[in-house]
Amino acid sequence: MTQFNGPAQYGFAERWLPRLVLAPSFLLTLVFIYGFIAWNGYLSFTASRLLPNYEWVGLAQYETLFANERAWVAVKNLFIFGSLFIGGGMAMGILLAVFLDQKIRGEGVLRTIYLYPMALSFIVTGTAWKWMLNPGLGLEKLVHDWGFTSFTFDWLVNPDMSIYTVVIAGIWQSSGFVMALFLAGLRGIDDSIIKAAQIDGATLPRIYWRIVLPALRPVFFSTLMILAHIAIKSFDLVMALTGGGPGFSSDVPATFMYASAFTRGQMGVGAASAMMMLATVAAIVVPYLYSELRGSRHG
Amino acid sequence: MGALAIKNVTKRFGDTHILKGIDINIDSGQFLILVGPSGCGKSTLMNIIAGLEAPTSGEVQIGDRVVNDVAPKDRDIAMVFQSYALYPTMNVRQNIAFGMETRGVPRKEQDETIARVAKMLQIDHLLDRKPGQLSGGQRQRVAMGRALARNPTLFLFDEPLSNLDAKLRVEMRTEIKQLHHRLKTTIVYVTHDQIEAMTLGDRIAVMKDGVIQQFGSPEEIYERPANLFVAGFIGSPSMNFIDCHLAEQDGAVGVSLQSEGGARFVSLPDGQRFAGHLGQKVILGVRPEQIEVAEEDEPALLCKVHLTEPTGPDTMIFTQINGKEVIARVHPRAAGRPGDSMRLKLDLGKVVLFDPQSEARLG
Repeated sequence: MTQFNGPAQYGFAERWLPRLVLAPSFLLTLVFIYGFIAWNGYLSFTASRLLPNYEWVGLAQYETLFANERAWVAVKNLFIFGSLFIGGGMAMGILLAVFLDQKIRGEGVLRTIYLYPMALSFIVTGTAWKWMLNPGLGLEKLVHDWGFTSFTFDWLVNPDMSIYTVVIAGIWQSSGFVMALFLAGLRGIDDSIIKAAQIDGATLPRIYWRIVLPALRPVFFSTLMILAHIAIKSFDLVMALTGGGPGFSSDVPATFMYASAFTRGQMGVGAASAMMMLATVAAIVVPYLYSELRGSRHG
Repeated sequence: MGALAIKNVTKRFGDTHILKGIDINIDSGQFLILVGPSGCGKSTLMNIIAGLEAPTSGEVQIGDRVVNDVAPKDRDIAMVFQSYALYPTMNVRQNIAFGMETRGVPRKEQDETIARVAKMLQIDHLLDRKPGQLSGGQRQRVAMGRALARNPTLFLFDEPLSNLDAKLRVEMRTEIKQLHHRLKTTIVYVTHDQIEAMTLGDRIAVMKDGVIQQFGSPEEIYERPANLFVAGFIGSPSMNFIDCHLAEQDGAVGVSLQSEGGARFVSLPDGQRFAGHLGQKVILGVRPEQIEVAEEDEPALLCKVHLTEPTGPDTMIFTQINGKEVIARVHPRAAGRPGDSMRLKLDLGKVVLFDPQSEARLG
């Protein structure tokens, strides 16, 4: 009866091989992501300054953090940047996608051009926009050279407006990506739905507004998730474009965290602000994941 | 009254001619079928009637109005699509109401119309569901309800049953026919299914390669197909095509048929109409049901049965005449078994002849 022993013979390898193969990456993730999150969490309750120490101070670092004016500027900037970046990037991206969806010639080329900024790192985007927005080098100088000397565009060096330059660069970088996501969604919409709506008498804007875009709700949410976490984590773009300045007027939580932990010798405050960022991301992602997973179980 | 007139309509994309001069004229209340294999241009023609595509040349007239420059929504038409094309985020009620809402129909009238069509199609209980929660047949009903709510002068059906399973397709086919009897609205119906074409149509336009091969009633198309393509396309199993020589024997025009039992000359009734083709090759077209089992005392072709396909009511007998495979549809009790010989005769009153070169029907 040996031929019936198959499953038992292979049972050991079959049961253990997948675990063995997955173990290294599992361990690495466990230590270097969750381990360090935990360590950072612990540090945020200690009196660490330039170097980590383990003197327990409870919530003192959080109190310092919440009393810090610069931290609140960073939070306010995050709200300005986040909402404008997500809203603007989404609006631009959808608009581009809808225009590209009109069966136009040269779509392939245009799609690549619009998507290209996404291939750049935020550092490159930030540096390029820094030059373009620099009053002495870029746009303002160009218009001055044309003879319009009264023109001023000094947002980059204006503490009240510097965060908006980050918004401009961010939208420029992300709208092509949003376009690609929505274009894929639009392509998934059955052509005859649009034909049916035409026969029903709907105009093109109405067709998109009432029928097509509502059908893209899942794409809408995925895009929102992706942009939201880019916004919260945004660090390199701000560093390259404004460096958080002038002063700390364009600080965002990530740059604040970096400055506290590594340049100003307040590692405990930095760790506390990192924990606050983690909590913010979790507040967005966890409900999303929950609804996604629950949705897939039902359907 | 003319309901739809298509005059010399052509459609070209670059060098590709999709439609090459289509002429169709139907009366109000008629059920027109556009049938043909994929790529014959039937869906393009439908889109041109609907106004979703513009013809390269020619004229489309709905009622007594030329509609070439009229937008789809102003043509007073309603269309049902193969994929149903229901608006996915709206429930059934909103789907049906959307067109009326766009046209600014008062709310009360909208509700009445929805109630009326929902009752007619028995979808009352589905009104609050989304399309994703409906079965294929239910979606098809909703799509039809949306068209009915329009109360148009012309219904367009674009392969509406192709996505349904076989049983449901037959049921819905009957329902569409009943609906047409009740409403008496003109319908244009595109299909690639010749059975749908035969069962539903008052007028059938058989299309191939952008040309109407034949336009006529189902009987005409079935009994007097204009050419080999129409003859082979309509009818299942297909018409048998037997290569023969047209000859004269004892004053009668006929053809010689060779089966396993030997050759026999059969004369065609009213054969003199083919006199001009004497001595030429012709193709004899015989439908499977026109090959019958001969009585004891009748002259017959002795044919060897190669294969049988019982379908229940009939049995298909596969045999050979003049070296061509031929299918005969006979009563199951009369059917032989593979290897047997059967005495078969042709119903010569109904056979048709085709010219092998032009492929057109003779006589």
